[in-house]
Amino acid sequence: MKWWMLCKVAWVALQVNLMRSILTMLGIIIGVAAVIIMLALGAGAQHEVDQQIKNLGGNVFVVFARGRASSGARGASGSVQTLTEMDAEAIEQQIPQVSVAAPTIWANAQVIYGNMNWAPSVRGVDNRIFPAQNWQLAHGREFSAAELNSAGRVAIIGATVQRELFGASDPIGQTIRVDRTPVTVIGVLDAKGQNTQGNDQDDLIFMPLDTVRKRIAGMTLASPRAVRSLIVQVADERDMALVEQEMEALLRQRMRTTGTDAPFQIRNLSEMVETRARTMQIFNGLLAAVASVSLLVGGIGIMNIMLVSVTERTREIGLRMAVGAEPADILRQFLIEAMLLCSLGGLLGLSIAVLVTRSLEKFAGFTAIIQPEVVLLSIGFSAMIGIFFGYYPARKASKLQPIDALRHE
Amino acid sequence: MSQAVIESLGLTKTYRMGSQQVHALAGVDVHIQQGEFIAVMGPSGSGKSTFMNMLGCLDSPSSGEIRIQGENVTHLSAAELARIRNRYIGFVFQQFNLLPRTTALDNVLLPLLYRKDHDGNNDFASECLRRVGLAERMDHHPSQLSGGQQQRVAIARALVNQPAVVLADEPTGALDTETGLEIMQLFQQLNQEGKTIVLVTHEPEVAAFASRQLIFRDGRLQSDKQVQAESASEHLARYRAQKQQEGLA
Repeated sequence: MKWWMLCKVAWVALQVNLMRSILTMLGIIIGVAAVIIMLALGAGAQHEVDQQIKNLGGNVFVVFARGRASSGARGASGSVQTLTEMDAEAIEQQIPQVSVAAPTIWANAQVIYGNMNWAPSVRGVDNRIFPAQNWQLAHGREFSAAELNSAGRVAIIGATVQRELFGASDPIGQTIRVDRTPVTVIGVLDAKGQNTQGNDQDDLIFMPLDTVRKRIAGMTLASPRAVRSLIVQVADERDMALVEQEMEALLRQRMRTTGTDAPFQIRNLSEMVETRARTMQIFNGLLAAVASVSLLVGGIGIMNIMLVSVTERTREIGLRMAVGAEPADILRQFLIEAMLLCSLGGLLGLSIAVLVTRSLEKFAGFTAIIQPEVVLLSIGFSAMIGIFFGYYPARKASKLQPIDALRHE
Repeated sequence: MSQAVIESLGLTKTYRMGSQQVHALAGVDVHIQQGEFIAVMGPSGSGKSTFMNMLGCLDSPSSGEIRIQGENVTHLSAAELARIRNRYIGFVFQQFNLLPRTTALDNVLLPLLYRKDHDGNNDFASECLRRVGLAERMDHHPSQLSGGQQQRVAIARALVNQPAVVLADEPTGALDTETGLEIMQLFQQLNQEGKTIVLVTHEPEVAAFASRQLIFRDGRLQSDKQVQAESASEHLARYRAQKQQEGLA
């Protein structure tokens, strides 16, 4: 019998017991939907992580200045061990794999414009921060040399600060007060959005290093050119380990320290993010594995119903055999019926998965990505379940003796 | 004697029931010629059904042979037997055995669908339905047809593969007298057109329409005789006239 005729016969058979067919499919529907949703959420999380790593500036180390040695021993004035702008220059010059090292200071301050006020993170930076963290300017310009050298009263603001203080109006050239210091807005940063920890990356203000040091209250730095951290970008990701070693050695040498209690700490942000992502992926994989158990259970349901169907239709099988159906024809007929049941279940499961992930994205803020290969895989997998669990009942049908089948009551 | 369409040679079937051996058939020789109309009779347990099943290649003998147009089909595989049934045998059953939710035409087409060389041409199937008088009901489902009409669809299905022999197992058993007579009339017409028909029945009235009667008893052929067939058309006419009189009276 031609395969499309078999499909037609199978379709008719499924329609005859519509309710039963749907209930049978339910196991497959739920299984496929659950697997696809889990994998989609996993893929979405991975995508966000990739995005965040890209936003972090790709291959980036952050060198933090640590609080001074807790042993109580303090060096004489002038020998204070801390990170400075000169360390940034030394790293850039002496480690050729480093493309840029940007010194930063940060503080919190109240920012006021007109009757609006906001409390963003205030960063003292120079223009190296833009390549180091992949910042782009939406409007305006970077800092000039004069502004950097003379603690100029200028600021470049993040997208969130612009929205909170200025709304729709143009902030360029406007004067805002940072704590008590009036500064002029010269630029606005392109928005980066939230990172995976849910922190708003655009809630910040950039000002020249000296401006923050000298004019923002509450800053107590150990040396005139001290900074809180260095953001170090490596040209090639493959050099990360090497750069980390060399940087450690260089900074220790510069600060004349050898012990375990170094006054700085090197952290690889993308590595932290990736560790988090890996944990999440393992978790999602686990959930997908649990979901695939329900696919298995669904498959057993299919087998059960196919066995019932074979028994119910024994006379039909006998008749088909009497008029010339070979055992292989009968086998194929029931296999196709089981496969059709599973594939339809798979398609319905896919539709449900699409609906659920869409609403998760819309109402719960998840990122979910249904990859095409996952779709093919799950539909293919459910058809395989149909073959696997449909084979035994179909074979049972094909082994019937025509004369016994015809006499079956 | 010309080549038999279908014949049995020393046909034996033995069942094992516990420690006892039951001989359902014990050496039956029958030769059926082209164009015969044969009634197979006998009490239940006589072996007539076992004989029919083996003629139809639905069951295989313990010993002996079945030959269809001279070819020994006794030791063929299940798939090969299916092909033999598909090509040489047409079945008509007591309970019609039509596929529900399938049109009359699709029911008739069924044997052709199991042919590897079927080209999707439905003309002969419609022709067969027309032959049994159901030209107007090709798209009806079995549930929309009367018992007699359903049996006609089944007969059309038995004709569609142009079989060497039509095997009918109690074809009137589930029908009322008048419809049964109509079906027998159709069988007689088909026989006159050259079809070979073998019919199992336990009613002598039905067997009377055949031209040769085989009577089985205890697994053996008790008698095998040519008879003068009665006309189903005449019986039908007489029955209808009588019924009309009763209606008037």
